[in-house]
This record gives sequence, C-alpha cells and structure tokens, in this order.
Amino acid sequence: MRAVEFGPATGYAGGVLTVARSEAEARLAHPALDGVRLSWASPGEAVRIVKVLDAVEPRTKGPGGGGVFPGFTGPARPPGRGETHVLRGAAVVAAGYLPRAQEGLVDLSGPAAPLSPLGATHNLVVEFRPAAGAAWEDVDDALRRGLLRLAVRLADAAVDAPPDTVEVLATAGRRNRPGLPRIAAVTNLQTQGAFKDVFVYGRRFAAALPTLIAPGELDDGAVVSGQFGHPGLKNPTYLHQNHPVVEALRLRHGHDLLLAGVVLAPEPVEAAGKELVSAHAARLCALAGIDGAVVTKEGGGNADADMALKMDALEDAGIAAVGLFAEMAGPDGTAPPVVVPPERATAMVSTGNYDERLRLPAVERALGGERFDLAGVEATAALEVPTAVVYCSLSPLGWGRLTCREQLERSIA
Amino acid sequence: MTRVVHYLNQFFAGIGGEDSAGVGPGTAAGPVGPGRRLGALLGDGFEIVATVWCGDDHAAAGDGVAAEIVAMAAEAKAELLLAGPAFGSGRYGLACARVAAAAEAAGIPAVAAMHEDNPGVGDAGAAPVVGVGPSAREMPAALDRLAGAARTVAAGRVLTPAGGRVGPVPRRGVLAEAPAAARAVDLLLARLGGDRERSEVPLPSFDRVVPAAPLADPAGATVVLVTEGALVPDGNPDKLESARATRWQRYPLDGLDRLEPGAWRSVHGGFSTVWANEDPHRILPVDAARDLEREGAIGVLGSEYLVTVGNGTAVATARRFGVEWADDLRRSGARAAILTAT
Repeated sequence: MRAVEFGPATGYAGGVLTVARSEAEARLAHPALDGVRLSWASPGEAVRIVKVLDAVEPRTKGPGGGGVFPGFTGPARPPGRGETHVLRGAAVVAAGYLPRAQEGLVDLSGPAAPLSPLGATHNLVVEFRPAAGAAWEDVDDALRRGLLRLAVRLADAAVDAPPDTVEVLATAGRRNRPGLPRIAAVTNLQTQGAFKDVFVYGRRFAAALPTLIAPGELDDGAVVSGQFGHPGLKNPTYLHQNHPVVEALRLRHGHDLLLAGVVLAPEPVEAAGKELVSAHAARLCALAGIDGAVVTKEGGGNADADMALKMDALEDAGIAAVGLFAEMAGPDGTAPPVVVPPERATAMVSTGNYDERLRLPAVERALGGERFDLAGVEATAALEVPTAVVYCSLSPLGWGRLTCREQLERSIA
Repeated sequence: MTRVVHYLNQFFAGIGGEDSAGVGPGTAAGPVGPGRRLGALLGDGFEIVATVWCGDDHAAAGDGVAAEIVAMAAEAKAELLLAGPAFGSGRYGLACARVAAAAEAAGIPAVAAMHEDNPGVGDAGAAPVVGVGPSAREMPAALDRLAGAARTVAAGRVLTPAGGRVGPVPRRGVLAEAPAAARAVDLLLARLGGDRERSEVPLPSFDRVVPAAPLADPAGATVVLVTEGALVPDGNPDKLESARATRWQRYPLDGLDRLEPGAWRSVHGGFSTVWANEDPHRILPVDAARDLEREGAIGVLGSEYLVTVGNGTAVATARRFGVEWADDLRRSGARAAILTAT
C-alpha cells in the first residue's frame, strides 16, 4: 500500500486505499458507542496518536475462505491454512480513553517513529464517544469487534488486486530432520482481567493452561489483544498477526532449525498460578519434543516472574531457553535491569530500557485525545517521556531493534 | 583550556569540622585546599576556575541542594565538574555523587571520587565514579586518580572499570542491527551449541533485606502504616503519579477511625482499583489498626501514613524512597511500620 485517502466508495487500486467514511463507520455501529471519528495518520506526517489502544492489520481469507479472527468475525475453527490476503502497510488503530488503559503514544515522524511498528504504517485511527450510560466493558467489546470487522473490510476491498508479493510460509513440521533442533516460540499473554486481557479464539485466556498451536493460526488472527497496560511492553493484535519470533524462526526453518510450534501461556496474577503455568508449559514442550524455546512476555515487572519461572522450568526439563526482557534500569541506566531474573536459564535478549528518557518535538495535529494526560500537556506539545510510553517501543515479542549496551562513548547532547 | 569547577565539603574547603556540617552552599574563585594539588596534577590545558562547597548535613538533607551547587558551577562557566575525593565518608560521598549526577544531567561532564564501598557510589547517575582509598591519608594517590579520570572524561572518552571506575556503568539504548526476535534465535542456537555464558542482559544483584526482629513490646510501640498502593485523598491533591513514581506523599490519620469510601481513592495504574475504592481499608488497614490500638495490642497508630505508587518504579528511586521513609519514621519515633503492597 502506497497511499490512503477518504472517498465516496471503499476500494483499492494502484496501491491506493480509498475508504468511504460512512461505510467504515457503520462497521463500528454498536449501542455502546455514541459515534466514531475516522482519520488517517501516515508515515512522515507531523502527527501524534495518543491513548493508543489496539492495532490490527487488515487481513482476509477472501470469499469462502473461512474468515480471519476466528471467534470474533468468523466461527472459532482452527485456521492457518490456505491463502491469507494481507494489506501490508496499513493498520486500523483504536485510540481514546478506557479505564485501566495506560496512556501510550505513536509519533509518525521524529525520534519516536522508528520505535513503533505503527510509525511506519498508514493508520486508520478510530476515535470514539461512548454512549451515555454504557458500561466500559461493553465499550471495549464494541471497539474490539468493530476494529476487527473494519480491518477485514479493508482487506476485502483489495482482495481482487494482484498481490505485490506472495510468501509461502513454513508450517510447523511434525517430521524431524536429523541434526536440526526443534524450536518453539513460548508466548506469554498478559491476562489480568477486563482491559488487560488477551483473547484466543475469541475467549479470554486468563484461566487457561498453556496451549500448543501452529504458527499459521497466529497469521489468521487466532490471538486478539484486549490488553491496554504498559504501552511500551504491549503486544497488540498487529504483532500477534506478525509474530516477530515466528517470523525469525521461519526464516531459518529447514536450514539450521525446525519451527516446531507456538505455545501460548497466560500470565496469572497469583504466584501459585505462575508456577503451575510455567511447569505446564515446560511439560507441553517436552511432550512435543522441543529442544529449544524463545520465551516472550507482555507487561512490566510482574511478567518478569512468569519469564524467570518458565525459562528455568524449561531448562530443568532439558529444553534450552532464551528470554526477551525490557530492562527497567532507571533513567540513567544504572539500576538492576530485570525485576525477577531467571536463576539457571540466564540467556536474555534486551529490548531496551523502559526508563530511558526521550525528547519528542511538538507535532501539528494529534488524534486520540486533546491532552497527553501523563505529562499534563496538550497532545501536540513537545514532550520528555520515558521510552515506556511509546507504543511497542520495548516490544516483548521482539519486533524492535532497540537494545541496551554499556555506554561506550559520551553521547553528544 | 578546560574550565574546571571543584566540589568539596565544609571540612576540605576549610570552613570547619562537624560543627559546620549544616552550612549551605558557597563558592570561591580558583582552587581551595586539595584543589591546589589537583590543579597541578591536571596540568596544562586545565584550570580550576572555582571551588564550590556545602556542609555534609545540609547536602544530605535537601533535594534541591545538588541543583543549587550545579547552578553555581554553571555560573562559573564550568566545562568539567570534579567532586571529592570523599574516601569512605558516607554523607560526603553521597553529596559528591549527587552533585556529579546533577552536573551530568545539566550537560556538564563530571567525575566523583570516593572509595568503592562508599554508599554514594550508587547515586552518581550517569556520572562516573573513580575509586580511591578509604581514608584521607591516601589523599595524594586519590588526587592522582581523580586527575587521570578527569583527563579521560575531558577527552570525551568513557571511564571504564579498567580506568579505575567503580559502581555501575550506565546502559544506554541503541538500535541493534537485527530485531530482538532474530537476535533471540541466534542466542538460542548458540546456547544449544553449548555457549552457556552469552547474554545481552547482565544478571542483576539485589539487596537481600534481613527482616527486623519482632518487637519485644508491641503494646508500647508506635506503629505506622505505609503503602505503595497509591491510596490518596479523593481528587489526588498532590498529583501522585499512577506509574513510574518520582515522589511520595504523607497524609494525616489523626482523628480518623476509618477511611470512608469516596473520600479516598487509589490512583495506582497497575491494577483494577474498583475494590480498593469500594473499601479503602483493602489498601490501608486503618480499621484493623484502630481495633488493635483499642485492644492495646499496639501502642499508638502513627498520626500519618506515607504513600507512593509501586508500578514500574525504578529500583534507584524505590531505594531512595526507602531511605527517606526509614529516616522519616525513625525521627517520628515509630517503632514499627506495616507496608501494604499490591
């Protein structure tokens, strides 16, 4: 996708996506919503999106294809096969106030833009007004379903266009290849109740035990985020659809490893739950004949405990484990970086320092709200903020290139 | 010519001993005391244009003192700030570290000098600390090390542990060549290949806190409630943050038998506050504490409670809160504190 616009009819031609406002708004119609406003935010523009909630990549299975986002926009049947049509370069993004949502931002230009996957996409931003008297849980649910329907609609608009690229994706192999280790992505999902929950096949994942799925199920939207805590440490639906660890494993599948599957695991809030889930994830990997696992999390320090327990449990079961951690090392980068480090499985990748300050220049327009409440200023103002407020800046799924190193030379201010 | 400003405490600045520890910040042109020898060791290309000082108690007590001292250094057009050497002296070390940290934050390169066991080592922020001996008997060698470190920093290089640095080296954000997910796969294959050492994140070492012994006589003790549950008067009059706290607050409990719902609110951003707001005692158990007070199980409930928010708080900040709370409670005469966490 090269350009976007609003127009009289929704359609796609020559790399340009045209969206008809009224038709798109109808996809979000719901008694819990009084109305929505749609706007485009495109790369390079001096625009900021504040109070960013979820982001979804437009995808469809096409006519008769069985649907994406199983459990939400289609029946909860296992997908992950056949053709998936992707409108690459676009995202549908909800932005506005919800209770418990921690305020995050995306800048489409300036130093924060390269730190977020939404800094490089054409974003159809959905702002919303809750209906009088509507329960916030219903507002959240209406937004999520509307966002997914709208994403499917945009992809459907382009389904007849010739694809720019066709990727043939590796599926998890059951057969072994001698000498190649079987690797799994172990993906922890933050599950702390309303507004901090993740959905698998349309169901809240909080009370679940770890579940083994095929990577293709992620491609077709089996995991949908409803988790609005810690903006920098969030895994939106967009990144579950484009799971970075799965992508990295696919690139090497059949060469020096075999992609053996994805284990989804909840992050319970009680210690006993964390221990049970960690032990169970390790058992599941052992049963599936996994040799090594890349373990990821969602959320802040609490989620480090899930990481540490799971990584140690995996290695105790003879499965090598590597974990992705954001460092919480204080504004100057000198504090202990991890809240709960693993004891035995000590191989960690750093996705940057949560506390490091960023200076962001003022922008021309803002979406998602008039104010950036965290700093108590106009949403368009110049800001000095911790990296943690930039949406997906510390991507626990490993999307970003941000990392930390001991300072080798004086930074030139 | 690099313009150097040198920080000393009241003793080394020649103001006075312990009796002058409360003296506020002051400044004089040129080097003072050990600064004369330091200036000579720095040699050509450096000039100590001013000396700034402060009494140890005064420097340790106030939040804004370091900024005040750095403002004096900036007034003298400092291009480099050197602090100490403080040797093993705790308050002096803390002052040197905080002044160096504040100078760095203000864009003035800085070096502090102290013994590696000085509690100030962890407080220097982004500024390097050069290790010196434990006592002032080692002044000549200490000044030599400080001068060496000053030359390194003035040349735009980073002081390394091999160069005499003690304490943590700041870890800074950089963009790696490959995304974190791809690096994780590399690391996993290396680990499967037998490399058990490789990691991008150093294992942190945490303080282990030994719990205090039980009170011998709780019935005679003042017991204070403290919390990181962010419970504040409705309206959050002091604007306590919901995450990444930089401060804490105190609110009176005098005359309160219980906390009325609606009059108190948790502003914590890390959990659903519905149940906390429905009954504020779920965060701050004033009801139970008053019962215990009436029964005589404890002496007196403290007349105020201390509160912050524990949600993504930097460890260094949390440590500072701990030091400040302990100091505050000790001065208030409290014998025990109940910390409710969420």
